[in-house]
Amino acid sequence: MKGALIAVAVCAVLGVAFSMTSTSDFISHLDRQVHSIHCSLIPGAGAEVGESGCRTVMMSPYSSMFRTSMWGGIPISLMSVAVFAYLVMRSMTFLLSAKTTKRDTLFLIAATGLPVLMSIIYGYIAASKIGEACTVCIGIYVVSGVGFIAAIVAHMSAPPDDGGPAVGIWARYFGEGCSYVFIMVFFYIVFAPTSPKSGEGCGTLVTKDYRDNDTLGLFIEMSKGSKVTGLAVLDPLCPACKGFDERIVASGIDDKVALSAVLFPLDSTCNWMVKESLHPGACAVSEAMLCDRAGALDVLDWAFTNQERLRATAKTDEAKVRKELEEKFPKVKGCLGTAAVKNKVNKSLRFAVQNALPLLTPQLFIGDRRVCDEDTDLGLEFTVDRMLQAQQGSAPSSSSRRRR
Amino acid sequence: MQGDGVKNLILFLLCLTVPVIFVVSGERSAATRLAESSDEASEVPIASAADEGYCSPQLKGIVRRVAGACGLLGEGGRGCKPADAKNVAAMSGDDFNALFSPLAKRAHIVQFDSEVTALDEKAKAEVEKTWAEKGGASFFFVVSRASKDGNADLNTQLSQDRAQAVMTHLQEKFPGDEDLKRVGLLWLGADYAQLGPEFCEWQRSRGGEPCAVKDINRSSFVAWIDCAI
Repeated sequence: MKGALIAVAVCAVLGVAFSMTSTSDFISHLDRQVHSIHCSLIPGAGAEVGESGCRTVMMSPYSSMFRTSMWGGIPISLMSVAVFAYLVMRSMTFLLSAKTTKRDTLFLIAATGLPVLMSIIYGYIAASKIGEACTVCIGIYVVSGVGFIAAIVAHMSAPPDDGGPAVGIWARYFGEGCSYVFIMVFFYIVFAPTSPKSGEGCGTLVTKDYRDNDTLGLFIEMSKGSKVTGLAVLDPLCPACKGFDERIVASGIDDKVALSAVLFPLDSTCNWMVKESLHPGACAVSEAMLCDRAGALDVLDWAFTNQERLRATAKTDEAKVRKELEEKFPKVKGCLGTAAVKNKVNKSLRFAVQNALPLLTPQLFIGDRRVCDEDTDLGLEFTVDRMLQAQQGSAPSSSSRRRR
Repeated sequence: MQGDGVKNLILFLLCLTVPVIFVVSGERSAATRLAESSDEASEVPIASAADEGYCSPQLKGIVRRVAGACGLLGEGGRGCKPADAKNVAAMSGDDFNALFSPLAKRAHIVQFDSEVTALDEKAKAEVEKTWAEKGGASFFFVVSRASKDGNADLNTQLSQDRAQAVMTHLQEKFPGDEDLKRVGLLWLGADYAQLGPEFCEWQRSRGGEPCAVKDINRSSFVAWIDCAI
């Protein structure tokens, strides 16, 4: 039994290490800056700044709870730390006690079953909703499973109990576990940094009546139905925009805001403000979206799905991307590459000039107030919620979501 | 029994305190960094109109004077006649042309037949192509000329009509486009800033066809000017 209990304790310690790695990455982002994210099973190794499965998972709305109530919400990994820390304590007390019986080890099976259950739920979410796997999360799934098996083995080899009532002792154990979670969450909430900028935003639009004066058809409707308007500044081939779009949809912001998009391709083919194309091919995709505004979201979804390939192709042969767009979306034929649509893309870029927007994507405006760049990932839901409250009349509408 | 209780309590507190300290210290560090970063100015550049390297202070000054005197900085679209152009530019015809030499890859020359002021199909296409190459430019210049054939009044009229033909085509092709207010028309007739044969090498509507000095001056020079003035 002792060997199995040691295995449970080791798995729990590893669970604490992995969960703490995720929590530490999450907490480091509470300063609203961009940080590397650890994406390795070796604690402290494999930190990555760029896009990765671990970043996608961490930025997704599933990584934390109560996101509209506090900036970033309460990370799930924090509760995972609490549960594994409790399992370390519980398995160690059983190990050090001479009176551990099946009554105790049965509780240990139930306790180690919790991370297994959560692993199944979050593994499913990662596969079906997020579409990315997080290495550290996989580590947690594995140690959860091994720990559960070890607890079963410990139970099988444990001495029988004395026949006394089990419910009382199990309730005490359960209460101790809950206290771990509550205390951890309490300290997290109390010490979480706050910033007044989140509700105030970072600047305002100069041209506030852009929707009413859109005679050229520059703005693409992404959602409708709410009284509060919003504007997203997007580049169809920008990786951050893809993640941003997914967060907007997953968090339901597109239901709360009548969202439009204006295109800002960071591609020197059409954008004089960038000396080198950060996202080659973005001008061609933007043209296609403006050629067929009714099907623009289909073009956008396709571009988001094929971003990497499209950028690589356009880097050497932009015409090939244009040809592919025409084949995939026949409606843009005869429009793509014309002076008229190039003029539209140019006008979209000039909208950024008129409003003195920063040269980056994505950007989000709620009403005419710009969401600070540092609030467009973990703090998106909280910030938008604050801004919507400030805008008034922000009751969620019954509009149907257009993109799922 | 009591020994077990003490051990359990120590374990309970130890397993709880270590992660709590870790979490709280991480949050305090983040709070410190947040306070420091909120005082820093953003280094992200702001979207702006183009201001290319060739936009020297001298060129900007000339463009401003020409644009201002010809109405581009006001309601726009008003034309300058040769006398105005000479006065506001305050320079020789060659110097005036030299100002535009950095635009060799940006400008297009729309050609006309003798005594003709209507745009042919190639000319229309050239105008539209130039218009689409707007980029971040602030002004669209149309500088029309006539060859030295015929009398001065006729040539002035021809160049004015050629400039107007470009404007009319833009208005028809891009109705309601706010950038039409950025178009400035200059008509130089044949007595100021005649183009030399080297301009035959520039992008023109009749590229590939024979090009003499007379041919290149029966034209409208169209270009977006990438100078923020």
